Amino acid sequence: MRLLSYLGQRLLFVAPQLVGILFVSFLLVKLIPGDPAVLMLGPFATPDGLARLRTELGLDRTVVEQFLIYLGNVVQGDLGTSWQTTMPVTSDLAQRFPATLELVTLGLLVALAIGLPLGVAGARYKRGLLRTGADYYGLLAGALPDFWLGLVLIYVFYTMLGWAPAPLGRIDFAVIPPEPVTGALLIDSLIAGNWEAFRSAAGHLVLPVLTLGLINAGPILKMTQATTERMLDSDFSRYAELCGLPRKVVVAQALRNALPSVITIVSVLYGFLLGGAVLVEIVFSWGGAGQYAVQGVLNADLNPVLGFVLYSAVLSLFIYLIVDLLYFLIDPRTR
Amino acid sequence: MTTPVLAVEGLDVEFPSYGEAPVRALHGLDLSIGEQEIVGLVGESGSGKTTLARAIMQLVPPPGRISQGSVSFEGRDLSKLDEEQLRTLRGRAMSMVIANPRSELNPLLTVGQQIGNILKYHTGCKGRELRERVIEMLKEVRIPDPERRYDAFPHELSGGMAQRVVMAIALICNPRLVISDDATSGLDVTVQAQVLELLKRLAERHRTAMLFITRDIGITAHFCDRVAIIYGGEIMEIATRARFFANPMHPYSVLLLAAFSHNPKLRSYWLKEGEAAAEARPAETGCPFAPRCVRVREHCRSVHPELRELEAGHHVRCHFPVERRA
Amino acid sequence: MTLLDVKNLVQHFPTGRGKAVQAVNGVDFTVDAGETLALVGESGSGKTTIGRCVLGLIQPTGGSILFHGEPMGGRRTLRSPELRGRMQLVFQEPAESLDPRIVVGRTIGEPMAALGASRADREKAVRLAAQRVGLPERLLGSYPAELSMGLQQRVGIARAVVSRPELIVLDEPTSALDPSARAEIIDLLIRLQKELGTAYLFISHDLSTVRYLSHRVAVLYLGSIVEQGPSAELFAAPRHPYSVGLLASVLLPNPELRRESTIRLEGEIPSPIDLPPGCPLEGRCPLAIARCREMPPVETVSPGHTVRCWRHADVAQMEQAVDYFERFQIEAERILTPAPSKQEEQWAN
Repeated sequence: MRLLSYLGQRLLFVAPQLVGILFVSFLLVKLIPGDPAVLMLGPFATPDGLARLRTELGLDRTVVEQFLIYLGNVVQGDLGTSWQTTMPVTSDLAQRFPATLELVTLGLLVALAIGLPLGVAGARYKRGLLRTGADYYGLLAGALPDFWLGLVLIYVFYTMLGWAPAPLGRIDFAVIPPEPVTGALLIDSLIAGNWEAFRSAAGHLVLPVLTLGLINAGPILKMTQATTERMLDSDFSRYAELCGLPRKVVVAQALRNALPSVITIVSVLYGFLLGGAVLVEIVFSWGGAGQYAVQGVLNADLNPVLGFVLYSAVLSLFIYLIVDLLYFLIDPRTR
Repeated sequence: MTTPVLAVEGLDVEFPSYGEAPVRALHGLDLSIGEQEIVGLVGESGSGKTTLARAIMQLVPPPGRISQGSVSFEGRDLSKLDEEQLRTLRGRAMSMVIANPRSELNPLLTVGQQIGNILKYHTGCKGRELRERVIEMLKEVRIPDPERRYDAFPHELSGGMAQRVVMAIALICNPRLVISDDATSGLDVTVQAQVLELLKRLAERHRTAMLFITRDIGITAHFCDRVAIIYGGEIMEIATRARFFANPMHPYSVLLLAAFSHNPKLRSYWLKEGEAAAEARPAETGCPFAPRCVRVREHCRSVHPELRELEAGHHVRCHFPVERRA
Repeated sequence: MTLLDVKNLVQHFPTGRGKAVQAVNGVDFTVDAGETLALVGESGSGKTTIGRCVLGLIQPTGGSILFHGEPMGGRRTLRSPELRGRMQLVFQEPAESLDPRIVVGRTIGEPMAALGASRADREKAVRLAAQRVGLPERLLGSYPAELSMGLQQRVGIARAVVSRPELIVLDEPTSALDPSARAEIIDLLIRLQKELGTAYLFISHDLSTVRYLSHRVAVLYLGSIVEQGPSAELFAAPRHPYSVGLLASVLLPNPELRRESTIRLEGEIPSPIDLPPGCPLEGRCPLAIARCREMPPVETVSPGHTVRCWRHADVAQMEQAVDYFERFQIEAERILTPAPSKQEEQWAN
């Protein structure tokens, strides 16, 4: 019951939140110096042509008016066109957003697979090699920039060993990509039953996913270790031990109590990586959404930037909703 | 003579302190508990009573350690058992009831899961039988509507109810010894009385011996067979309840009783004058109680008193025990 | 002279959805100058809420509180200029009520500073207050964390008496302390009352302390005073089943002394949300009858002794009139009077 009313309240606020986010981004993008009309028409543009283009783009109106026009279009599902790709932003993003999502999701799964067990082990054995290793790993992962690690991995596994495919996109040029359904190559190739595409896509994913996973396992490890340790030091864990419950049961219970914090950090990383993975995307020529948005910013191409912001915001809000649902499932006190 | 359920002999527990001599939390502590006996252990905060409870369970909080002496449970020296053997004893043959039950219960697990876990991991009982036995236990600790409470979470329970759940956890495996560590201190008086009576009745029914640790000497007068007074990590006096309350012989025991007196003159015999004498730390040499004792003499400050049997079953650690006119 | 007059005090805290925590439901009492009235009750009885209302810290939902005949509340609180220094408060947890970053000497002087006293006056008052509570002057420069709990509570009391208030609300001042430290604090409070003539509103659940410290007692249950009277009389001859249950729960350190009663309270205090209209104890009371679903009137059983129970006459018949606290005092005299030790005599020779 409380869950339903809570969800209702949350959904009620989604629309105003999105409008707010869009408006702020709109203003920020407008603050970027550079005239799109000049950039679009190039150095040989006539003043007349420029003025006409400005009127066409609505640049002669006030910022608020421009925003309202943009908002009206968004409501109708029109995010405008990118003058760089000359394609509608929706179709650009339909291609690129899933690419980023696939990369970030797998990256975080790998990060969880590394960080969670190491964190729990570090909390369980307060001394010893495992703990020292976990501590150093956390430090290292926090200190290394992800693009640098990506370059190192490319150098070792592509240049030196030749195990990995060339870091040029998501799939071999020679392989015919599957019909896009979800936009995620792995899933689409499975749907199409195209094994060659699946293998190629998976091969291209290994290094960038590993890059993101290895780096982002750091914060997950730290959070898991700290929270689990706190839970193991808490009264109820001590009492469970006094009651003769096996150590592994006590640790498992402590981990369960620590899960909300781990989920929080994962959700924060997720939201951050949608745009934050851009350097890794560039290193691997991934053609993801982050790369698209950065190109937009650099070339005063407003629509791709706003489209990216909108997509990311919707996704982040959706993720936070899921996080709340998970809290709800884990912790009876929130019910 | 039958083997006591619990025999603590010459137990020393130390906490290392950086760059100094280790702090002794317990010193040469002797205590034995017979079958189905309820022994009350009275001490103020910092007296070492909680450390004793943990030492008996062989779980002294690190970095503390048992440096001397032994704890025997039903004739078995616990220091000779490995961790797995100890684990199967804890919660099953000897269990604990603790204070602040609300923080000692896991907030994410239901009452049924928490009681059931003990049974599951100690006896392998599961499924419907597990549920039935847990509900039976909930009935025994007088939790109303046990079927519904089985699925309740700790935050949905009142303090008294949570305390009963902890009692169910402690008793579900029919232990031979229950250690209650200040278990009723957070409860309201009427609830405390109910919980104590229930605990005593259950101990009788389950033929369980009990070490009842408390800072309230009043409780021991009504619920214990024997009474022990602990100060500075040592037993100061131990006697059967009747003898203890009829003729307490250690000045510290009398001081604890005097705290209930309304007569300042009578209390002035036992409470040291001057700035908050109650705050003085136990002495390292001689009698630990010497700094707070009104009857202290030079001898007390230099010579450590032994625990002597002054009447049958009445032991006192004092050079100059209190005497009264007949 | 009546110092504090509380009439029909009601305090409800809304919890949303049209419900309210009915913390205090129509409470009447007075405190005379220089006397101690104890408010006794378990958690959820509303005793702390009453204390806060009296000091004007929360605005009551209904009823009136007169201090020297003038109403409290609104802008008139213990902090308002005309009352500043005339009422004070001592808290349960001394450590939490003292600012850890300020030396205790300054903490004690705060009420004087609020009164605008000069530096010299302030220092004089602080030294006097410290001396009164047995706090050595050399400790005035210490921080609270450097002091034991007993000493911290002395600081709290010194801060309360430094401005020579007429009324001090003592909110469970001894419950966090060990028994022997508790006895010292109680002695101190009694001595201070004799010296300064301060009235105490003593909020406590510790009946032994209450019996010792207070002249009169009001027993609270779920926000109502169920019985009120002179301490000696109420402890000897309680007339309300709840008072009986409370007294029978007291465990004095003497195996022979516990109120034997046929009245046993089952269960716990229910939540004070949505109380039924009748007697608050109805659900837990072994003597409850159909009539108890109506609120019983306040009846006077002897001068100054009132009770709110339909069956108080039956309670009087069922219960022996014994004050176990008094009997304990008599028994304790033998235990607490030492004979000269033979061994000691030997050592002396």
